[in-house]
Amino acid sequence: MKRFRSMAYPYVAWIAILIIIPMLLIIAYAFTVEGTAFFQGQFTLANFGRFFSDAVFVQVFIRSLRIAILTTVVCLLLGYPAAYAISRSGAGSTLLILIITLPTWINMLVRTYAWVGILQDNGILNFLLGLLHIGPFQFMYTDFAVVLGMVYNFLPFMILEIHTSLSKMDPSYLEAASDLGANHAKAFWKVTLPLSIPGIISGITLVFLPAVSSFFIPKLLGGGQYVLIGNVIESQFLTSGNWSFGSALSLIMVIIIMLSMYLTRKLDRNREDEL
Amino acid sequence: MKLNVRLFSTICISALLTGTLSGCGGPGTDFDGTNKSSSDSDTLRLYIWGEYTGDEIIENFEEEYGCRVIMETFDSNEMMYTKVSSGDSYDVLVPSDYMIERLLKEDYLQPIDREVITNFDLLDENVVGLPYDPDNAYSIPYFWGTVGIVYNKHTVARADLETEGWNILADPKYRDKLYIYDSERDSFMMAFKALGYSMNTDDDAEIDAAYEWLCNINNTMHPVYVTDEIIDNMINGTKDIGIVYSGDAAYILSENEDMGYYCPMQGTNIWSDAMVIPKNAPNPDLANEFINYVLTYDASYDNTEEVGYTSSNAEVAAEVYGEGGIFEGNEAYVPRSGYEKDEVFRDNEYLRQRLSELWIKVKAGSTAE
Repeated sequence: MKRFRSMAYPYVAWIAILIIIPMLLIIAYAFTVEGTAFFQGQFTLANFGRFFSDAVFVQVFIRSLRIAILTTVVCLLLGYPAAYAISRSGAGSTLLILIITLPTWINMLVRTYAWVGILQDNGILNFLLGLLHIGPFQFMYTDFAVVLGMVYNFLPFMILEIHTSLSKMDPSYLEAASDLGANHAKAFWKVTLPLSIPGIISGITLVFLPAVSSFFIPKLLGGGQYVLIGNVIESQFLTSGNWSFGSALSLIMVIIIMLSMYLTRKLDRNREDEL
Repeated sequence: MKLNVRLFSTICISALLTGTLSGCGGPGTDFDGTNKSSSDSDTLRLYIWGEYTGDEIIENFEEEYGCRVIMETFDSNEMMYTKVSSGDSYDVLVPSDYMIERLLKEDYLQPIDREVITNFDLLDENVVGLPYDPDNAYSIPYFWGTVGIVYNKHTVARADLETEGWNILADPKYRDKLYIYDSERDSFMMAFKALGYSMNTDDDAEIDAAYEWLCNINNTMHPVYVTDEIIDNMINGTKDIGIVYSGDAAYILSENEDMGYYCPMQGTNIWSDAMVIPKNAPNPDLANEFINYVLTYDASYDNTEEVGYTSSNAEVAAEVYGEGGIFEGNEAYVPRSGYEKDEVFRDNEYLRQRLSELWIKVKAGSTAE
């Protein structure tokens, strides 16, 4: 057993290089004065002060949360029925899961660009609507386009997570429920849904996290004026060259996300205690 | 035997590690920023704007000089600066005027070997000896041009353009019909010019006024900020007014005859992009050869024909604009020169910081609705 444990050391080193050191660098940048190399930089809280003192950044942050929550809710509403149907489809479910994951084999950026061609003013969608004498509408550069792009990109994560927890469920629970007189709807609400909550929670996490920090989906489908927190961070690193402020923003995001994950876990645990 | 297995796995792991690590530092760089791959003298690393080279120039250069060209592209000077200043090494960079001035000030560039640049005399005199590098000791011009307004001739009145200039962006008639190029420099340039200031000001009151000017447009006119998408979108006629570089305008005009180009009389930015060699270039000799090659008639022609930007080669520029040329009579191809209100960007640290701080706030302002 000990010999196996020593085999984990390379992975520990690997994790240190790829996760812990970058994290420490972000923290070091976030607390030091802009423009100086971090190891000789002066300690400061000004980067955090700038975020909280400027209404624009707080508004951008709230907007990012709003879009991410909207995306997550839509993914859940679309993803749950889909996952439920797939897990009930017996032998065909493997094929259906393959179809769901198929688009993710193509690079996300390319797939998002494809939506530009579909949604733009003289794009495919408006052309099709034009055949029905409707429109044209402006889809691009709206909330609709951004949420659509995010739902499209992140929906597979939701479906896969919920499907996993549904397909692991022992069918004898449902048999027991109907033996005891529950109809289908009641069995779903009392048995299936509660048992799939862990899948829902990890699905929500997997959709919400990339949605709240995404920067290229709003940039492509929302235009440059569609500024979310991910875009502010990107611009701090790539154009402003203010890595300290960018790091501080990233750190604020990390803290808020960690808090929300902790809370959902805690809710989940409380619920389990009740059962 | 046992020892051999362990030796083998150590070699495998270390090979894997070094392979991945050197991959992180960008082409040919190690973590300490020094260059360890200068031995491959037949590779040229070019870092240039996206869609900025002709169809054949790279291939022809490779063939003629028996080398390999690795081309990477950027879409803003600032992005290029971030990569170069964090230690990535390239042989040739093609940034804009004010960025060259900054790179020079911060000691990132090495002098061009003018002995090698035998084609120097082919350059258009309008782009030689500009204030950022008066003797062209460090930079050789690549393309140049202005910033102006591409407009749909059927829906936008030329008279409005002439009377309002940049202020047409605030004209409610054209609400929802605007594309603005997503660049803090050029957007603030319009604001400064519209207000009658110099675009190289560092007066706080003038900067704040320009900020208000841009916020007003952002919050009332619903402009869309795009970068290179503007080219296709203006060709498709998606919107009526777009702020573009003259070179992109020349291409748009040649693809869609409904479009016209106008440089406001309030003045604009005369920009130029030039080739420079960074200090940490692994292969400066080949870099000088490449720069000289770009100036040749064939290479310049290939570039300008494909990209639509104004060639720094005077003969090529005159030929493509002249009778029978591919950009014959294209009003965007030949930049306005010698107009007193037109300016060249200078590098100014204070202005640079203020603009980058304010620009994200201009764009984010639409969230306040």
